Amino acid sequence: MTATDFLNLLISALLLAGTYAAMAVGMTVIYGVMKIVNLAHAGFLMLGAYFVYELHERAGIHPLLGVLLSFPAFYVAGLLVHWALGRGVPVSDTPTLASLLLMFGLWLVLQNVGYLVWGTSDRSILTPMTFATLRFGDITIPKIGLVVFLSALLFLAALEFVLHKTWFGRSVRALIQNRYACRIVGVYVERTARMTFGLGVAFAGAAGGLLALLYPFSPDFGRPFLLRSFVIIVLGGLESFSGVFVGALILALVETFSILIVPSSYQPAISFSLLVLALIALPGGVAGLVARMRFRGTE
Amino acid sequence: MSRDASYAGIDLRALRGIPVLLLPAVFAVLPVFHLGANTVKLLFLTFMWIAASVGWNILGGFAGQVSFGFAVFFGLGAYATAVGINLGWNPYVTYLLGGAIAAFASLLIGLPTFRLRGPYFAIATIGVSEAVRVVMTNIDATGGSSGYRITEHGPFRQTEHYYTALALATLAVGISMAVRHSRFGLGLRAIRDDQDAAADSGVNPYAFKLAAHAIAAALTGAAGGVFARYSAFIDPEGVFGFQRSVGILLMPVIGGVNTIWGPVIGGGVYGVVEEEVTARFPEFHLLLYGTLVIFIILFEPGGLVGLLGRLRRLLLRRRAGAWQPS
Repeated sequence: MTATDFLNLLISALLLAGTYAAMAVGMTVIYGVMKIVNLAHAGFLMLGAYFVYELHERAGIHPLLGVLLSFPAFYVAGLLVHWALGRGVPVSDTPTLASLLLMFGLWLVLQNVGYLVWGTSDRSILTPMTFATLRFGDITIPKIGLVVFLSALLFLAALEFVLHKTWFGRSVRALIQNRYACRIVGVYVERTARMTFGLGVAFAGAAGGLLALLYPFSPDFGRPFLLRSFVIIVLGGLESFSGVFVGALILALVETFSILIVPSSYQPAISFSLLVLALIALPGGVAGLVARMRFRGTE
Repeated sequence: MSRDASYAGIDLRALRGIPVLLLPAVFAVLPVFHLGANTVKLLFLTFMWIAASVGWNILGGFAGQVSFGFAVFFGLGAYATAVGINLGWNPYVTYLLGGAIAAFASLLIGLPTFRLRGPYFAIATIGVSEAVRVVMTNIDATGGSSGYRITEHGPFRQTEHYYTALALATLAVGISMAVRHSRFGLGLRAIRDDQDAAADSGVNPYAFKLAAHAIAAALTGAAGGVFARYSAFIDPEGVFGFQRSVGILLMPVIGGVNTIWGPVIGGGVYGVVEEEVTARFPEFHLLLYGTLVIFIILFEPGGLVGLLGRLRRLLLRRRAGAWQPS
């Protein structure tokens, strides 16, 4: 492998990592605040893809604008889902059987509504950007990958701003740390949880739209990405936002560079192997590892 | 009812066990009446599903560890039986082999994932089934994605398959009852309710979960073997597919998790619905199941068994009301 090949792979891994981070962060906020593993994440990713697709096909709206529009649309959808199903989600410090199955049922419904509406065939969103590349000497960067990466970063930056500079964001971060202490200091837990669910779903929808710009999709679109999202948040330590970035980067690097050694037909097994490795070697994720090293340092 | 539980010194509650014992006996006699081949097939599939469903419930219900990956065990059992029969082994030995391989696989999955709290196990199981399916579609020895044919010498005897499945379902329910009423089952229930308290009172959650997983996997693997021998052709998408895992999880949830009879009723409903409805409306059945799961969790987490209990209480109250108009 030449140095340019290496650089090309590295660049595509970095571009992928940004999108992966945007994809997984919705799952992290919901898990962190509500301790719900949102299996319906896969369904919302898929709906996000079709949302952008339909806007593009029917109304001629540019896919990137569509992704932006998907954000409020899915936020409202998330609020509705929370309103309809929230009573079935008991408040708990650990994920419950009920919430897991409930989200699973929702995913089945979303996926199969997808099949009813759009059928089983693959769709894709094609724009003039899709096959365009930027060339810097021997290094080529796919234009669409770059655009998606930048949009993902924009979303993540907006999230960082909200989390650190608004009262809602502070409540979210406080809730992730300790629900009971939050009540004592007067955080409106229910409203924050509701809005967090909306936010998580909004991120799923927007990320689905972004992924649809990169890959063809079908109603089963979300499943491989659900597992990837989970690998990322496990690597990141489940509840940490900076962990999501690290996890996304690790997964993207492993997936991209494994092409060199693992036959492509085994690619779907990679994210799982990484998950098992993470579970054995890094039970607390990368954040846990860092914390442990710091702890050892202070001793 | 339970107020007059004894009559002339005999504990009548012991008699309640009798209909339970009669159930497999009734089904064992049924083939005498020359049922149609389709009916026998329907019952065969239902018994097979019941075995897998009861197996899932031992881990998912009794121990409270939801798994989305039981297709792994079903598929491994199916392939073990298929390969064994093609090698000329006794089918009943291959069922045992399938169960043993599935139990071994359950340890491989459980060892890393049960060490941790939280949702790790449930999500990892989605990944496991995906990974195993991918590997199986790429193994050439068993035909890869184009599937694997089982050639068994001698005539096809549907009744034999019927009795095998019935025996397996009965065995599964028997194991489920034995687990439920043992110290082991009590430990599982303790883990489900409060893992810390269970650990404090001398239950080893890690070992208990692994054991429950292995029992559940062995039953599911044997069910996969029974299925493979009957259908004579299996392919990775069919036995390892995510749909399979979903199906095995749905049965106990529909019937009522954490009960003896919930998974049996759920398996029965699923078997009939799968055969009768899926063939006609293939795109509707998962939508139907998904909606059902949502409604069950929201309104009757006890599933059909819970619903029946509620109806019975309602009827009893009405009857009691007629006696004492107050």
